[in-house]
Amino acid sequence: MSAAIDYDAFRAEVRAFAETRCPPEIRAVVATYRKLSRKVWYPWQRILFEHGWGAPGWPKRYGGTGWDLKQRHIFDEVMAECDCPPQYHHGLRHIGPVIIEYGSEEQKQRFLPGILSGEDWWCQGYSEPGAGSDLASLRTAARREGDEYVVEGQKTWTSHAHEADWMYTLVRTSKEAKKQQGISLLLIPLNAPGISIRPIRTIDGWHHVNEVFLDNVRVPVANRVGEEGSGWTYGKFLLERERLGGANVAPALRNLERTRELLARELGGEAQRLKRAMLEERLLLAEAELRGAQALGQEAIAAVMEGRPLGLLPSVLKLGTSVTFQHVAEVALDAVGERLAPRFRPTDAAGPNAEAPGIEWVQNYMYSRVRTIYGGSSEVQKNVIAKQLFGS
Amino acid sequence: MPFTATPIVGGDAFDQACRIGQEADRQLALIDDPAGQLACLRRHWDSLAGLGWLAVAMPEEAGGAGGTLSDLAALTGGAGRGGLPLPIAAACGVIPYLLADQPALLPGMAEGQHRIAFIPADAAVDEAADVPQLTPDGKLTGAVVGIESPPDPTHLLLVLGGAEPVLLLLPAGIPGISARHTLRIDGRPAADWRFTGLAVEPGWILGRGEAVARRAAEARDLGALLTCVEAVSAAGALLEQTIDYLLNRVQFGVPLASHQALRHRVAEMYVEYENLRGLVLQALRAAGAGEGMPWRDIAFAKLRLGEAGRFIAQSSIQCHGGMGMTEALPAIRLARRIMMAEFEFGDRTFHAQRLLDAARRAA
Repeated sequence: MSAAIDYDAFRAEVRAFAETRCPPEIRAVVATYRKLSRKVWYPWQRILFEHGWGAPGWPKRYGGTGWDLKQRHIFDEVMAECDCPPQYHHGLRHIGPVIIEYGSEEQKQRFLPGILSGEDWWCQGYSEPGAGSDLASLRTAARREGDEYVVEGQKTWTSHAHEADWMYTLVRTSKEAKKQQGISLLLIPLNAPGISIRPIRTIDGWHHVNEVFLDNVRVPVANRVGEEGSGWTYGKFLLERERLGGANVAPALRNLERTRELLARELGGEAQRLKRAMLEERLLLAEAELRGAQALGQEAIAAVMEGRPLGLLPSVLKLGTSVTFQHVAEVALDAVGERLAPRFRPTDAAGPNAEAPGIEWVQNYMYSRVRTIYGGSSEVQKNVIAKQLFGS
Repeated sequence: MPFTATPIVGGDAFDQACRIGQEADRQLALIDDPAGQLACLRRHWDSLAGLGWLAVAMPEEAGGAGGTLSDLAALTGGAGRGGLPLPIAAACGVIPYLLADQPALLPGMAEGQHRIAFIPADAAVDEAADVPQLTPDGKLTGAVVGIESPPDPTHLLLVLGGAEPVLLLLPAGIPGISARHTLRIDGRPAADWRFTGLAVEPGWILGRGEAVARRAAEARDLGALLTCVEAVSAAGALLEQTIDYLLNRVQFGVPLASHQALRHRVAEMYVEYENLRGLVLQALRAAGAGEGMPWRDIAFAKLRLGEAGRFIAQSSIQCHGGMGMTEALPAIRLARRIMMAEFEFGDRTFHAQRLLDAARRAA
């Protein structure tokens, strides 16, 4: 089937679309590392949706493109190369596929169109203060009262909760001996009474994560996805689908190119000749690593398409590229840090946001530290790799 | 089941090269005197010539096997895994590539009687003034150092740089040429060569001009690529042997493999190994696709070999503790081979320089 697809032609088609249809002001946000928000994402999602490309990863009958894995990979690559925002993932990549796989017919009709068009904005209620890497320890409880669940507890690290309409939420519906059991997946509207959202100040000066408090929030039983007590299975399904996230190295390569341009701009003078050369060399080493990761990413995609096991490739890609991304961010910081790091925050404004032209380089550096922490920290990845290599 | 490395290009040739490599490495480790070691290397050289290795990449019409880059990768990969201390990349790949248009020479090379040491135009010198050159009256002067050699070299294949590049093939054992033989850090034979006003006979000159420089640059990239294949393969074997050592070495009543610090170090080695393998595979595919040497892919791979290869080699020595400082273990001999590979066919700064120059020109 895939043998008939002309991938080069497809790549050219996607590129032409990205270059002509993605508004310059949206691409400028990506190119200058300004914070992506619903205000930026939504109009772009709308354009993709109207072109029939709203959901590259979904089957056609739900409004997806029906593309194969390689086409999706090409799409993501070209988007990154053209500074188009990566599509907002919580609906399209996370809860959408779970609803498609495990949701009721009513849930599909109610929720999928809003995700596809971008009208509904989603966030993920997984982590809790006592359940980070060890997610199964979560304690937010939902007790059944007639046709409703009453939810009580707290979520944290909830990205984009402050601009979302819905939160797909893992809750404990019973206490079992094995902590992975007794977990259910609920779809909770964030305007429900009893929900309060508090921003978390992060070291990058951007507002993306929040604490979400649930105080006797009433959620219809009809908003539970799949079986009661099977939420862990659905959560794992979602993570499995995301295992190839590290295969797309294009955003990191684009980031590297921008940093190279920064060096030329920032360190063009004769007095900075040696500094520029030193930083360019570090970038080159990072580029070599990224190209290695890119080759492994292609290997991973070929493996999935041919039905071969992925082995350790996802862990290798996650572990390797996260660190390389940080190295690139460090080079940029070294180029501008002396000038911009002291101007991180104004003292006369209440908000956490940084100001000063180009300050995003500093913010991006600070933000880059999370890459070795989220999505399975580097230490967790090394444990996974070592277990396999040593045979136990 | 602990980790087993997958060859970049597997098959019978890979297995054979690996077996011969392990045998040679084992035998050499038991011989103390240099003459005995050289004799041992010579035996293995003759046997691999007998197996047809040296003719793998030669054209069929000249009596070769007309093999592809993939066949060369299988041989060098197997030799890398087995730790074969002979210059396979040069003897099977680089030198036949440079002499492909010299059919008269090929049979002697294929049978192993012509044992040629290759001296590129940018070979290392002790003094800048030593760079070999032809005087206006046709005499060769200069001195190069650290040239990897087959056992008992019979010929020198020399590229002279300068305004008009020249490709020369000289008999090695004649007046006007002197040699000082050494062993490299990976135990392979090398030599310093000095030319003292040697009168160059017209028949020794195989080519002149820009074409020689271009061909020599392509040959260098071919050598760099095959060296990368060899080193990745050695690194895979080194990882296996390091894991095996950690699983079996008991201290404080537990195997070293139970310590997270060591497990994480091995995981880091593996990530570096995989990344390097990805790059080398990519370069090999690009080279196999035709349209000349993909110099950029090869330069990235060789640059990474400098970084990743050294990290893997050093980590392995560290993981072996005191044993890592001895010459007794095959693993550590592989580590030294990987360390030496960096300096063959352009070290990491050479390749970084090419890439940086290109990036600057593009900016």
